[in-house]
Amino acid sequence: MRVTGFERDLMAYLPRLRRFATGLARNAADADDLCQAAVERALRSRDQWQPGTRLDSWMYRIMRNMWIDETRARGRRDALMAPEDAGATVGDRGDAAIEARVELGNVDQAMTKLPGEQREAILLVLVEGFGYREAADILDIPIGTLTSRLARGRAALMERLGEAA
Amino acid sequence: MSAIDIETLMAFVDGELDELGMARVERVIAADPELAKRVAAERALKAKLAAHYAPVLDAPLPDRLTALFDQESKVVDIATARRPRGWIVTAMAMAACLLLGLFVGRGVMPTAPGADGGALVAGGSLATALDTRLASAQPANTAIRIGLTFRAQDGAMCRTFQGRALDGIACRAGKTWQLRRTVSDPAAARTDYRQASSGVLMDAAQAMMAGDPLDAAAEKAARDGGWK
Repeated sequence: MRVTGFERDLMAYLPRLRRFATGLARNAADADDLCQAAVERALRSRDQWQPGTRLDSWMYRIMRNMWIDETRARGRRDALMAPEDAGATVGDRGDAAIEARVELGNVDQAMTKLPGEQREAILLVLVEGFGYREAADILDIPIGTLTSRLARGRAALMERLGEAA
Repeated sequence: MSAIDIETLMAFVDGELDELGMARVERVIAADPELAKRVAAERALKAKLAAHYAPVLDAPLPDRLTALFDQESKVVDIATARRPRGWIVTAMAMAACLLLGLFVGRGVMPTAPGADGGALVAGGSLATALDTRLASAQPANTAIRIGLTFRAQDGAMCRTFQGRALDGIACRAGKTWQLRRTVSDPAAARTDYRQASSGVLMDAAQAMMAGDPLDAAAEKAARDGGWK
């Protein structure tokens, strides 16, 4: 049955969608709120999905647009409260676990400092593994715009996260 | 000659070049240690980001996400089933009843289709709760919570309920409880993104109501009188 197939496929994408939401929202609670809202909307508007097109791209588009709406609605409150160099307070005990934790913190910080349009491009291509064409479609921008955002985002991340990655 | 622009280099790292392009960049890299270092750094960055977000993939999904699917499969189908559209509708209505039956128990029966399509009847633990439970005396840990009891404008006795997977308004019809209103995804509706489900139901109840909701004494009297 088609309806069941739609839901089954959507459900199979949940972990990936959650990962994308985590990258966009930057904290677990917001990410799950976003994920939930996006899945609800997808289930409600399943008629708008065209069979034969990629369901995952469609879902990512819904989620990304909802996130844009959400950040606008919040007046970018989160962006204003971006944490300042949390790694600096952890100390330098040289402990591997602490280093690992700081390292992860660094990725979050570096991503947080990216402009939203670069962050979403980086997430879709480098983390979610979309091709340029699909990523550009999800973001509704020309491929050239996507690649230039990717290039700028990458350069900024490279600078902040270092080449000893 | 060996100059490769930055976008080409990224396209190479992302596997976006065609075969010829990939081969060309590989040749250039092989002859240019600086460029090879650059590519290695780009790959490492990509790997670092991937590793950073990977744990989310393996983390157990929270109930509130998986629950969306349980509820939707039931309620969306029910909504579809209410629009008469030939045999598909009949099949969907039957499927919806079966699905709803999984939630409300084994006693779900479709009544003869009326003007608004097939009606759904509460069964199982939901029917028991609607039959016996008083709003003022509910177990602390109950899966089904009774809200208001009121007399509808058509004379039927109605009760609002909140369940784990379904909220709604049920009205007495003969010896059964007909589900007049349901809210598909109560857990979801309780987030900021949506109006609270209880609000939606309260509005619906308000619109159906003749007079005021029953107070505790009247509710008890109604129960003892068989919800007439």
